[in-house]
Parts: sequence; C-alpha cells; structure tokens
Amino acid sequence: MNRYDDQHNNREQKGRPVTDLILFWTFFRIGSLTLGGGLAMATVMRHELVLKRQWLTDEDFMAEMSLATLVPGAIAVNVAYLQGRRLRGKAGAATAVFATVLPAFGLILLIANVALLYFNHLWVAAFLRGCAIAVGGQLAFAGFIFGRRYLRNWQNAVVCAVGLAIVAGLQWHPVAAVLATGGLGYLLCKPSQPSDLLPE
Amino acid sequence: MQIALQLFRSFLLIGIGAYGGGLVTIPLIQHEIVVNQQWLTFDQMASLLAVAQMTPGPIAVNAATFVGFQVNGVMGAAIATFAVILPAILILLWLAPFVDRISHNRSVFKIRQGIQLGVLSLILYATWSYGAIAIKGWLDLLIGIAAFAVLVAFEGKLHPIAVILACGVVGLLVF
Repeated sequence: MNRYDDQHNNREQKGRPVTDLILFWTFFRIGSLTLGGGLAMATVMRHELVLKRQWLTDEDFMAEMSLATLVPGAIAVNVAYLQGRRLRGKAGAATAVFATVLPAFGLILLIANVALLYFNHLWVAAFLRGCAIAVGGQLAFAGFIFGRRYLRNWQNAVVCAVGLAIVAGLQWHPVAAVLATGGLGYLLCKPSQPSDLLPE
Repeated sequence: MQIALQLFRSFLLIGIGAYGGGLVTIPLIQHEIVVNQQWLTFDQMASLLAVAQMTPGPIAVNAATFVGFQVNGVMGAAIATFAVILPAILILLWLAPFVDRISHNRSVFKIRQGIQLGVLSLILYATWSYGAIAIKGWLDLLIGIAAFAVLVAFEGKLHPIAVILACGVVGLLVF
C-alpha cells in the first residue's frame, strides 16, 4: 500500500452498505472513463473497484479478470456482471452491466444522429481516412505484440496457423477459427498464466 | 421484424467471437456487417472503428449501437447492443458460481491459450484484409507504416488514441 491508497482509505465511506445506486454510479463511471476498450479498461476498473471502493482485493480482482477474459465479449461488461453479482446478486449484475453499457450507448446514438451528417464533409472525410489508416497500423501492432508474446513454441505456432488457415484459407466465419483454436489449444498448448492477460 | 432478427443474429455471432474485446472485433464486424449483410460500406466501417476508439466503451458495444441504429433506428440499436453482450452474460450466468475453481484450473488455461492464439490469427488476418482495403496508395501505406513504427517505438507508453488522432490530423493535411 502506498500513500495514495492510504489517502483513499481515509476519505472513503468504509463499511457503508453497497446500494444499487452506488453500484450503478461506479460502473457508469467505468463505462464513461474507458476509452478504446479492451485491456485498457483493466487499469480503470482496478482503480475504481480495488483502490477506491475496496470491494475486492487484488487477488479477487485477478480471479474476476481471469474469468472475464475466458468468456467472450467486452471485458468491462463481464467484470461488471461478476462484480455486480458478488455485491448484490443477479439484480446487481443487471444494474452493473446496464450502467457500464449506458454511456457508450447514449454517446453513440448521439453521434449516429448528429455527426453522421458530417461524415462526408471534405475535412471530416480526410480526417477519418487518416484515422482509418492508423487503425490498420494498430492492428499490425497488436499482431506484433501478441505474436511476440504467444508464438513461443511450435505448439502455439501450429494452433495459430490452423486459425489462419480457417479464416484466411477456407474463408470460414471468424467465430469458427476461435472455437477451433480453443479446442486445439486444449489438446496441444501449455496452460496460459493469468498474468499474460494484463498489459506489461 | 425480419431485419430485427438478422441484427440480433449477426451481433450474437460477433458477441460469441469477440474474445478479449477490442481489436479482435474488427475482423468479425468486417465479415458480418460489411461482407455478409452489407449494412455498412468498408469506408463507413473504418470511420465507425475510428470513432468507436475515440469514444468511451468497448468497441463491440459501440459498433452494435451504431450499426443497429443505422439499420433499424433506436430499436435496432437496443437489439444489437443487447445481442452483442448476451453470449457473455449467458456463459457467466452459468460459470460465475465457480469463479475461484475456474481461475485456477489448468485445462481452462489450455483452452484459453488456444483461444488467444485464435485471436492472434484473426488479428493477423485482419491486418491483411483490413489493410488491403484501407490502404489505397503509397501515401496511405507510408502513414500506416509510420503509425505502426510509432506504436512499436513507444510501446505501452503511448495511448493508441493519440496515434489515431495524429493520423487524422495528417489526413487532414494531405488528403
């Protein structure tokens, strides 16, 4: 525990029961503060849930993250479900998931209604074309990072090659590649460590 | 009604495949929304992905809301958003009571390793299939390589949004 944590300890209303409103507000903040999605959310969620609210220990948080990344879907939504359930049962789970999704839902609706009109505007189109190219660079970067981390032995290389063969060679649905590699991983791969899931 | 069911089905599939969220949804969205259903053109999807990264919330959820709204209004947005999170919720509903046992189980870690490799294969494929369409000339390729090089050079120290915004500004200047 560092000094920063201690300050939070003093300020937080410890021991107060978790109401649905606090649950809603906490996950509404998480949903609003996490740009870009994915594992970037882990840092924000740890700050809100472990350090600020102290609803769970780091170890419990890692267990939840571990399960949240094991099932498909957005990590923030999955953690919201698990945490809501832990604190307030199924109703709490529903509240937390709803609160996490709500900011994104509202904002995108707004953008779809307003900004869409400007997508074809000359300057906006040029800006978005630049952004779109950057997303391509980002994909290559993600491939580079994940490849360096996971392609450490021949078993992993084989599983990855099978995934590529399914999606690029056979042109099957990408979901088929994920399901097939999951099954093949069970047969071939060494177990992954939960620490592999967090950004280095 | 027909369109609502199609929306539901498409985003249910995206929800099943989106392991780890984030970038892996790109090949799924491209496959389902652009190629199969043709609800968006590639350029619209690329713009959507850029916007989705600059706004809060998971990319898959942002994409579901946006495409749902485009196809079938607010109702469509609600259906698609619900469908994209439904697979995860159903699986968690079933698995959550065993959270402690599962998070220490070796077989589960093996399956997960395999899934992560599947996600890697999707991202490698997406780099090609997305890049082949997004990059329309030498200038585009140069910007893309520069974005990649900057991300590698400042690995972990630079938020991807900064690179996306910077490329947007470059786009504003050159296109």
